[in-house]
Amino acid sequence: MQGGSSGIGYGLKYQARCISDVKADTDYTSFLTGTLSLKEENEVHLLRLSSGGSELICEGLFSHPNEIWDLASCPFDQRIFSTVFSTGESFGAAIWQIPELYGQLNSPQLERVASLDAHVDSVLWWPSGRCDKLISMDEQNIFLWSLACSNKSAEVLSKDSAGMLHSLSGGAWDPHDVNAVAATGESSVQFWDLRTMKKVNSIERAHVRGVDYNPKREHILITAEDESGIHVWDLRKAKAPVQELPGHTHWTWAVKCNPEYDGLILPVGSTRQRVNLLLNSYTDYEDSVYGLAWSSREPWVFASLSYDGRVVIESVKPFLPRL
Amino acid sequence: MATEAAPMDEKAKRMRDLLSSFYTPDPSISTPTSSISTSFDNINGPSFDADQYMDLMIKKSNLDVLLQRHVQMAAEIKNLDTDLQMLVYENYNKFISATDTIKRMKSNIFGMEGNMDQLLHKIMSVQSRSDGVNTSLFEKREHIEKLHRTRNLLRKVQFIYDLPARLQKCIKSEAYGDAVRFYTGAMPILKVYGDTSFKDCRRASEEAIETIIKNLQTKLFSDSESIQARAEAAVLLKQLDVPVDSLKDKLLEKLEQSLDGLQINPDEASKLAEHNVSSKDEESNNQGPAKIHEDAVRGFSEAMRAYREIFPDSEERLFKLARALTTTHFENMELYIRKRVSAADFLGIFRIIWEDVVLMDEVLPEAALSDLSAEAAQVTLKQFVARTFSHLQQDISDTLLKFDINQKEVVDGEVLKVVLEASGKAVLQGTTDIFQEFRQLLDENTGIFVKMNDLLIGWIQKGFQDFFRSLESHFLVLSGKTSSSNETEGLVEGKSSEKIHAGLILVLAQLSVVIEQKVIPRIAEEITASFSGGNSQAFIPGELCRVFHAASEKLLQHYIDTRTQKISNVLRKRFKTPNWVKHKEPREVHMYVDMLLQQLEEVGKEVKQILPQGTFRKHKRSDSNGSNTTTSSRSTTLHSDKMARSNSQRARSQLFETHLAKLFKQKVEIFTKVEFTQESVVTTTVKLCLKSLQEYVRLQTFNRSGFQQIQLDIQFLKAPLKETVEDEAAIDFLLDEVIVAASERCLDVTPLEPPILDKLIQAKLAKSKEHNNNNNKTTVSS
Repeated sequence: MQGGSSGIGYGLKYQARCISDVKADTDYTSFLTGTLSLKEENEVHLLRLSSGGSELICEGLFSHPNEIWDLASCPFDQRIFSTVFSTGESFGAAIWQIPELYGQLNSPQLERVASLDAHVDSVLWWPSGRCDKLISMDEQNIFLWSLACSNKSAEVLSKDSAGMLHSLSGGAWDPHDVNAVAATGESSVQFWDLRTMKKVNSIERAHVRGVDYNPKREHILITAEDESGIHVWDLRKAKAPVQELPGHTHWTWAVKCNPEYDGLILPVGSTRQRVNLLLNSYTDYEDSVYGLAWSSREPWVFASLSYDGRVVIESVKPFLPRL
Repeated sequence: MATEAAPMDEKAKRMRDLLSSFYTPDPSISTPTSSISTSFDNINGPSFDADQYMDLMIKKSNLDVLLQRHVQMAAEIKNLDTDLQMLVYENYNKFISATDTIKRMKSNIFGMEGNMDQLLHKIMSVQSRSDGVNTSLFEKREHIEKLHRTRNLLRKVQFIYDLPARLQKCIKSEAYGDAVRFYTGAMPILKVYGDTSFKDCRRASEEAIETIIKNLQTKLFSDSESIQARAEAAVLLKQLDVPVDSLKDKLLEKLEQSLDGLQINPDEASKLAEHNVSSKDEESNNQGPAKIHEDAVRGFSEAMRAYREIFPDSEERLFKLARALTTTHFENMELYIRKRVSAADFLGIFRIIWEDVVLMDEVLPEAALSDLSAEAAQVTLKQFVARTFSHLQQDISDTLLKFDINQKEVVDGEVLKVVLEASGKAVLQGTTDIFQEFRQLLDENTGIFVKMNDLLIGWIQKGFQDFFRSLESHFLVLSGKTSSSNETEGLVEGKSSEKIHAGLILVLAQLSVVIEQKVIPRIAEEITASFSGGNSQAFIPGELCRVFHAASEKLLQHYIDTRTQKISNVLRKRFKTPNWVKHKEPREVHMYVDMLLQQLEEVGKEVKQILPQGTFRKHKRSDSNGSNTTTSSRSTTLHSDKMARSNSQRARSQLFETHLAKLFKQKVEIFTKVEFTQESVVTTTVKLCLKSLQEYVRLQTFNRSGFQQIQLDIQFLKAPLKETVEDEAAIDFLLDEVIVAASERCLDVTPLEPPILDKLIQAKLAKSKEHNNNNNKTTVSS
């Protein structure tokens, strides 16, 4: 399955959709990923890139009660993360704490810090630092939670309804402004002000799958869409995109801005074999790629996860001098 | 021989030099050898010092040389002696003959003195007689001269007395020029004697002159008079010392006002151009507006010529006027060409302007009108070229948008085909026509055009280059691929990408191919044929072909995207609405399948109108049937496998097996490059739709019935999809993938029994047949 690729691979047992960079881990480049299996016992894997960068080591393997649709690591505590899971009929979300590790890998239990009791589609942490608030979204509503890890509780601070027709599917929290959040809906990308919990702006654009703020430049947002590829937007002039980039042959599922190098955009798509970078195309995939994360510790490293449960770590370092 | 001859010559030359120096008193004027003779060791030089020469000889030479030199010198001295003797002898002879001649002269002069005395005496007598005649005629001559003077005076007096009458006569016959000449001629006399003897006369003629001045002034300001006549009047007034500065100002103002009449009205310019062209053919048509215009300008320039002579200080102002007229000419031209103007009309107007400029330039060469108009002409011509191109683009755009691409017509009729043909013709014919127009400009031999030929060639090439580039971006705007950066363009204003019909995008894609393969090569050919040797290389067909190639691919992709987007919407609605975990047992094939097939059918119909058929054709039907059965059997075995593996341990190996199966089965790239053929486009669309279907399935969780519903729908799709598509294996694979995805997301995988599956499909087929029949009936009856 290597196919002459330069990437470092790691196989999960089951299918999987989500991978997250453990931002709070400053000692190692690590990622968290969770499996998506209807019938088997699902797992959360904590992966660490060896110091030489040549090997991907499983640091922890934890069982998770349900299939995991989304996973996000807490940006200020490496042991805390959130998952969005499906019980078959409905979606839920929870905050978990990884137990202290004593070198054993025999599926210790995760500690449930809090449950976000709603039909959650997506959970967002503020990417830029310590913030004890969380955002969750379901199809029609957006919630702001206050999280208290110490007494293991989370409560809804405020919520607003987007309306029946919008069916929110995901979003991004503005790293430049703790009060701004973008949410992708059926026919538009909507922007919320968390102080008033009101919608303030929107980009009319159908079928946006992924959205990400540019962490280096304020007001710049990128979107990934089903048929029409990737667009770069300036939120001050939201009528028309600033730039259009060629997308994948089929849908572009996710797109992420590099945390360090401005203008480095990484999209992944469902045409089986492509992780496309403007500098290079990585095509060694056997299935659709849904999961994607840049490492914040080594910003030239990214992890991708294809549906068949394969994690691949690649380095863009050879292409960087050209920037 | 030769070696002997040389010293002989040298010797003779030296001898001659010596003799000539002997005869010339001043040695400095003598022969060029003097330069050598200045040195003291030169034996022939005046500053020759024998002792020093001797010393030098002794020091320099050995005995042999000295001896040789001695012999040589002795020989020379002997020679000189002989020559001298010869000279003396010759001179003596000459002296003797001179003495003889002098003796003869003395004897000849002897008898001359007597004749001389006689001559003197005769001359004296002639002089005395002539004096006598002179004195006798003197008195008469005095008298005659006096009479003559009186007569002249009388004549003058007569002229003065006649002056008033003459002036009156002149006034009557309006010969003011003569009158003024008479009056100025009489002026000196009237000035001296006007107060005494000619008092009456002076008063009368002054009165007459008053009238003349008055008449002249009225003439000067009357519009009915020709400008030339008025200029003459001005000259006369000036000669009469009437202050003319105020007159000049007034006149120039009038001239300025007359400019309005000379302008070429942009609205009437085409008429002017027409007449200009036709009057070239038939000279009799003299009264055409062009002729009138020419006469007016000729009058204007004549007036300027006159004024320039009358008022030399008014030059600057006249320059300004001429320049103003030239500038307005070109400004009006610019206005004129804002509308659609043919090259012939453009040239017609251009010739008129150029003739005007030439006329004025003759009068006022210093105004540098030709430079001014050359500059303006460049600007105008450049604009004309640019405008012609933008008109062409407008034409093409109009042709594309002229047809109302209504949904129903497009699918059933041949509207797209018509649009493509019309617009393809518009581009091909339009560019060829435009080229012919430009050829006319190039063939024009008006002076100014010849100079601009190189520039014009450059502009045309650049024009074509820019035209095609802008056409390409215009296509992308029309297709909704890029939003119009230019708000004023207005063509697609308010048309969101959804409102632009997909068919138009397809037409644009194919049109780009036509441009790449036919139009650009043709223009390139024309350009190389016409401008060979031109060094301007602004037209780069290779680059343009690349641009349009890329555009055609982009547009085709955009067409497929737009189409799949529509289908995606159908699918999205299908998968969002039901609760798949609580799905009821499948009763029939779901109707979204019909919508899907209908959409694909539309794509097929559109593509058939526009794109060519691919060279790759499907195998025979029996083949496809065969593969159909094999694949279905394979997929059923796969399903039964899955069914058997209910225990959890084997599920993982099942996943592994699917992966392995994929590896061996389909390492083929599913999404190959789209080609410009009907089959390729349809196939790509179908593939993308099935891929979307798979992705939607993966987002759901199914119960047994939900899975069975998917199974049923996919099974039904299999046959009609394979009908339309060239790459059956890929379609099979993708359909299987949907089933696999559904089974992976299913809580209880139990496929429908084949007989039930078959029965439901047959029911659906029967129903859709009936539906079709009904439809046909209604269309027939209506």
